[in-house]
Amino acid sequence: MKRSASAADPLWYKDAIIYELHVRAFMDANNDGIGDFQGLIQKLDYLQDLGVTCIWLLPFFPSPLKDDGYDIADYQNVHPNYGTIEDFQEFLEQAHSRGLQVMIELVINHTSDQHPWFQRARFAPKGSPERDFYVWSDTDQKYKDARIIFTDTEKSNWTWDAEAQAYYWHRFFSHQPDLNYDNPLVIEEIVKVMRFWLDMGVDGLRIDAIPYLVERDGTSCENLPETHAVIKRVRAEIDRDYFGRMLLAEANQWPADVRPYFGQGDECQMAFHFPLMPRIYMALRQEDRLPIVDIMAQTPAIPETCQWGLFLRNHDELTLEMVTDDERDYMYLAYSADPRMRINIGIRRRLAPLVDNNRRRIELLNSLLFSFPGTPILYYGDEIGMGDNIYLGDRNGVRTPMQWNGDRNAGFSRAVPAKLYSPVVMDPVWGYEAVNVEAQQSDASSLLSWMRNMIALRKLFQVFGRGTLTFLNPSNRKVLAYIRESENERVLCAANLSRFAQPVELDLKAFAGMIPVEMLGYVEFPRIGKQYYPLTIGPYGFLWLELQPSQRPVDAADVAQVAQIAAEGPGDWRSLLDGAGRREMEESALREFLPRQRWFGGKSRQISLTVIEDWAVFNQGSSALVLVEVGYATGDPETYLLPLGLVFGPTAGEIREKHPEAVLAQASSADDDGVVYDALYESAAGTALLDWIVGSQEIASIHGSIRGAPSKVLGKLLGDSFPAPRLSSAEQSNSSLLFAGKVLLKIFRRQQPGPNPDVEIGSYLTGQANFPYVAPYGGALEYRREGQSTSTLGMVQGFITNEGDGWRWTLEELDRFYESVAPVNISEDGMPEERPRLMRLSEAEEKPFVQDHVGPYLQDAALLGQRTAELHLALAANRTDPAFAPEPLSAGDVDRLRESLTEHANGAFTLLKESLSRLPDATVDLAGLVLSRRRLVFDRFHQLVGEIHTSRMRIHGDYHLGQVLRAKGDFVILDFEGEPARPLEERRSKQPALKDVAGMLRSFSYAAFSALIQYSTRRPEEFEKLEPWARLWEQAVSAAFLRAYRLTAAASAIAPQEPAEFERLLEAYVLDKALYELVYELNNRPNWVRIPLSGILMLAL
Amino acid sequence: MANVELGEDTTTRIESPATADLLVAIAAPVNVEQLRATASDTIRAMSPRSTNEVDPSISGLRAAVAFPADVAPPTHGSDGAVVLDPAGSGVEIRFIPLAESGVSAIPWLGTPATYEAIFQAARGLGVKACAVVASDLASFRPDLLQTLLAPVLEKGADLAMPVYPAGKLDGLLNASILSPVARALYGKKIRYPLALDFGISARLLQEIQPARRAAAQGSSLFWPVTEAVLRNRTICQTGLEVKHPVGDALDASTVLTQTVGPLFAEMESNASFWQRVRGSQTVEMVKALPAAATTNAASVDIRPMLETFQLGSRNLQEMWGLVLPPVTLLELKRLTRMPAEQFRMPDELWVRIIYDFALAYRLRTLSRSHLLGALTPLYLGWVASHVMEVSKMRDKEAEQRVERLARAYEDGKPYLLSRWRWPDRFNP
Repeated sequence: MKRSASAADPLWYKDAIIYELHVRAFMDANNDGIGDFQGLIQKLDYLQDLGVTCIWLLPFFPSPLKDDGYDIADYQNVHPNYGTIEDFQEFLEQAHSRGLQVMIELVINHTSDQHPWFQRARFAPKGSPERDFYVWSDTDQKYKDARIIFTDTEKSNWTWDAEAQAYYWHRFFSHQPDLNYDNPLVIEEIVKVMRFWLDMGVDGLRIDAIPYLVERDGTSCENLPETHAVIKRVRAEIDRDYFGRMLLAEANQWPADVRPYFGQGDECQMAFHFPLMPRIYMALRQEDRLPIVDIMAQTPAIPETCQWGLFLRNHDELTLEMVTDDERDYMYLAYSADPRMRINIGIRRRLAPLVDNNRRRIELLNSLLFSFPGTPILYYGDEIGMGDNIYLGDRNGVRTPMQWNGDRNAGFSRAVPAKLYSPVVMDPVWGYEAVNVEAQQSDASSLLSWMRNMIALRKLFQVFGRGTLTFLNPSNRKVLAYIRESENERVLCAANLSRFAQPVELDLKAFAGMIPVEMLGYVEFPRIGKQYYPLTIGPYGFLWLELQPSQRPVDAADVAQVAQIAAEGPGDWRSLLDGAGRREMEESALREFLPRQRWFGGKSRQISLTVIEDWAVFNQGSSALVLVEVGYATGDPETYLLPLGLVFGPTAGEIREKHPEAVLAQASSADDDGVVYDALYESAAGTALLDWIVGSQEIASIHGSIRGAPSKVLGKLLGDSFPAPRLSSAEQSNSSLLFAGKVLLKIFRRQQPGPNPDVEIGSYLTGQANFPYVAPYGGALEYRREGQSTSTLGMVQGFITNEGDGWRWTLEELDRFYESVAPVNISEDGMPEERPRLMRLSEAEEKPFVQDHVGPYLQDAALLGQRTAELHLALAANRTDPAFAPEPLSAGDVDRLRESLTEHANGAFTLLKESLSRLPDATVDLAGLVLSRRRLVFDRFHQLVGEIHTSRMRIHGDYHLGQVLRAKGDFVILDFEGEPARPLEERRSKQPALKDVAGMLRSFSYAAFSALIQYSTRRPEEFEKLEPWARLWEQAVSAAFLRAYRLTAAASAIAPQEPAEFERLLEAYVLDKALYELVYELNNRPNWVRIPLSGILMLAL
Repeated sequence: MANVELGEDTTTRIESPATADLLVAIAAPVNVEQLRATASDTIRAMSPRSTNEVDPSISGLRAAVAFPADVAPPTHGSDGAVVLDPAGSGVEIRFIPLAESGVSAIPWLGTPATYEAIFQAARGLGVKACAVVASDLASFRPDLLQTLLAPVLEKGADLAMPVYPAGKLDGLLNASILSPVARALYGKKIRYPLALDFGISARLLQEIQPARRAAAQGSSLFWPVTEAVLRNRTICQTGLEVKHPVGDALDASTVLTQTVGPLFAEMESNASFWQRVRGSQTVEMVKALPAAATTNAASVDIRPMLETFQLGSRNLQEMWGLVLPPVTLLELKRLTRMPAEQFRMPDELWVRIIYDFALAYRLRTLSRSHLLGALTPLYLGWVASHVMEVSKMRDKEAEQRVERLARAYEDGKPYLLSRWRWPDRFNP
């Protein structure tokens, strides 16, 4: 009777966990010393509990057993040692009833020389169909190009048969004659065999030695088109009459050569990925991901319905056929110290002994097995870390009895030990008394428990079996990181191949905003941002992180429960903001909504009240700009700007569904339900805001008015039309709407009366100074109210096409710099100065040695120095506007500056002293040295006395490499807003321009050492050697910047003309900036403290 | 079958006697005579000839009635069905006795095999929708059938689940475990996931095989909501003004074992689904219920419950120790020392207990029947705590209290996930 498939999903093998076992070795029920089907049935509960889903049985057919059963003498029966065909059927039923699929071997390339077909062939006349069941020849010179596979035992692929008076062909042992697939009768017989087992209900067939089915002269007799024709025929037979069955190809070939065995999805559904296995071991030993990444890069795509079979170990040797000679030598040296461990072209050892029984290594390798694209195949006993016996012949050392418990014969059999088909492993480390299932079942921390948990975890995520694989390329090659992705699931896997903890920074920008959740313990990691994502992974550690959308889905009904506001319908803002709904808005909706917003600065403060201060309706009544004052339990109140929308009906449903995070409150009218939401999430409101500015419209608010003020260039920036806006996901303290390729509309969330410095400076530089190296100012939305200064609600800027910000661009340059100088020893005269004086450096000529190594970045730094001076000159050129007009730096100003800098320094040194015990060892000495120079630092500040001949003027105020864009070979300077958390007055104050210069010089220093830290994570030994190069780069680049700055600023008052004054003021600012950085790093990144400490020490004290 | 005043196109469709538009089915053993009488009255009332006011959504549709029966009424129809024309009204009713499919341990709930037979019958009849009603036949009324079926027939819902009028002390097993666990797992705010009455669309009943699934899961109950969620089908709720008094036929332990066990059982097979679900969504409430009268909580004696809890904490420590982590055991110990009037089981504690029991059920930490038995004193402890807490509350407040508990289950889901994924005994 033909039985149906046991799996409902025809692609079941893609999600399977396959467990390979030999009936002989698993469990002996009749105590004859040989495992059998009844024994296997007893252990099915164990396999079910382990979580595997498919059992792969090694050959169990009648056989002389000269090749562990791969020499089959009868295809349609069970070897009497293992039971009967009825026993097999019972096993099959029992396995299916537990949801386990069963795969058996279809050894069709050859039979045993004892098979009746071969015996019949020997005696049959030459040329008869019976004789032609096998491949015969009068000479042993035919098919000379075919290699010999079992080089240890076979000298030729031909063996003389005295009875037949001819040579017969065998690709393996001489007792395994190859079947002749040019004879159609052979195919017919093999199809019958296949049907025999499939009818019984077997789910999968592993086709052994598949590349060798057909032979042709002048070829390697491997992977021939005729072989594929045979497989296609077999597959077609299966597809016609059976559902949900699978063929697995055993082809020990390169991936590109295995690929044809999938055909167009019309040959085998699965094939082993042989070359991956040795490379996993190689990567582990070399602590370098390259071998794995390299072989995966050579792995072609396969049809959708197909799957790779992955394994760490199996019943054969760890085959080294698919590696280069050098790689093979390395593997022999690394993994088979004793020559007895080697056989043929491979290593005959189990998983645990291969990795020196190191639990973390075993876990790491299994984590790769379970997370790589393919179906994992476990070899029996490896789940408990069983050992091997290299003193047994052939590959029998890895085929010893399963170790069930500490009883006699490892609980495998109750026969007298001498009767066992193979001795059990008995040594003190690997023996059954130390390593067995029973002991590990009772130990929650055992390898078996770990495997069970990992298998269960893998089964929860279909992405492992069916998703795509994308490798990440972090600079630390000891870390292998990759993304598995399917339609609904994304998983980041990172594995540390090294025996020491490793840092890694991953480029996860494509997943910005998502939250990685560690999959084993469901632990949330920090949100992914636009920056590189740092991870530290312990020795041989691995991380599986599910990338989840950051927002937990919000149930709109929950929002409704927070605030339910009555309104008459669309446009009824009065009810909402002034009438009956106002109280609900102020007391409930806003207080719930504001702390959830990224731009809200008062998250850590306790809100005591929210008051709607003013509002104006726009966007044809659909939206309103609302100013909300937020009072706190302590401290000053703040005012925030909220563009709100009010919609009803299906549109409200869409908002709830698409942007639940934008919903403030549920609105209800007599006819319909609606929502109050952040209007920037919908493009219409953004477009209306830009139109407001473009059209110079003035709209009355309740207490004032809001006016659009376009700049002269806005029309040019926008052209004839502009696209619908998109809300930028990179928002921080403000919100930005991107009108692709044209302009950016920045909405200033926190409102303070008075001109916004970003608008003020941007407008001046574009409109009056015609300074071309800023994003052109396009206009603003201004809020006027009687009795208070005009404030800016939003600003339009031209969009700058760029190659990234200056910081990222500099780091990339530095990476190339360190790569190029790493092999070079810095010469004595090239050594950077221990305590460089910036002025002297900028006055000296660049040495050719420096030019040769630092290269073109020197010109870029000079260009940036020039642009910085030009910016300052442009800002200082406005002598009519009191907000801009430069003023002389008076002696009193210098006194105040000195006091302020001294106070900062005091705070920094106190913190450093308190933090000493928490600093990394390598940094403590440096910190001690800086503390010992404390007095010298104060002396430096105390030198700031009397008049310094320069101006106080409007400057950038927060100037560093992150504030410039690299665009078209030049620089564009951005963001004149200053630090939004500081009061507007402070952000608009006039200061010496050298403060900006100092900011950029420190930024160069930071870049040099950040890149060095990054570079040396993968080559820790190089840090010391490269540190002088880092200082050389910093000094050279700083000098080039300063030289160009001074040259451009010459004869102006933006900087002191007198070199001593210039140096005094500049170095004081640089020192202050370094101390500021010190405080920041002590509070946030103690491992980075060495950068500002080195900076402080490098200043000539 | 109610075969009345049919239009031409409809007449064409009923040329085959084995067709119907609606199937009304009873999943648990029912009194056949009572069923015959109730069905006759109801289906006649649904006829357009009837003077009753019946919603057009079900008026005039041909209905059949399926029921599990050991003894079928006299047969004079084809295919083993009984066709009656009560009182010569011209309204024929097709009664379909279902094949023997076993009796559930909870007498008022059907077995998965019974549901399988119902859906098979519905598929065979080619119905547009099926209403399953409780075996007390309290909901076998035109207005209530309409409540269950209108969302399916008119609003395109695949599953209409009832919301019953309930006092603040009604349905506590549902409120404390069944509903909030199902909600946290599958992300749908369904008040009665194991309701006795529901309406189901032809599309959904085509897709599900309750018996096969229950067998695969080792579950003895059919969970319509889970089936609909797994297939991403539309679910709604509808207020069904009926009460099904179940009396004291079974003790709390049996009911708990027979309902919570199957809930835990299906968690294992659906793990890869519910582990991806975050938060929960409100499903549409098609018809609201009028406010329920306030229940007099003073009539509930909590002393026996607390005594069972105290007794459990003395005798079941060993079993609880296998299931619950030390911090939970410590909190339980503190609870045992509390004076009765101050006894309160915090939501977070209760949620962790249920999640840990669900995990132990999966891991077979101890025999499943013993495990669920060990949960009973804890459940009674929760009931005592809840009764005291809501006794002075208005019904609305008590409902909000239950909602808070449901949210605690959602908030505690990461705990379940971490325990489920890495079931280490070495826990805080």
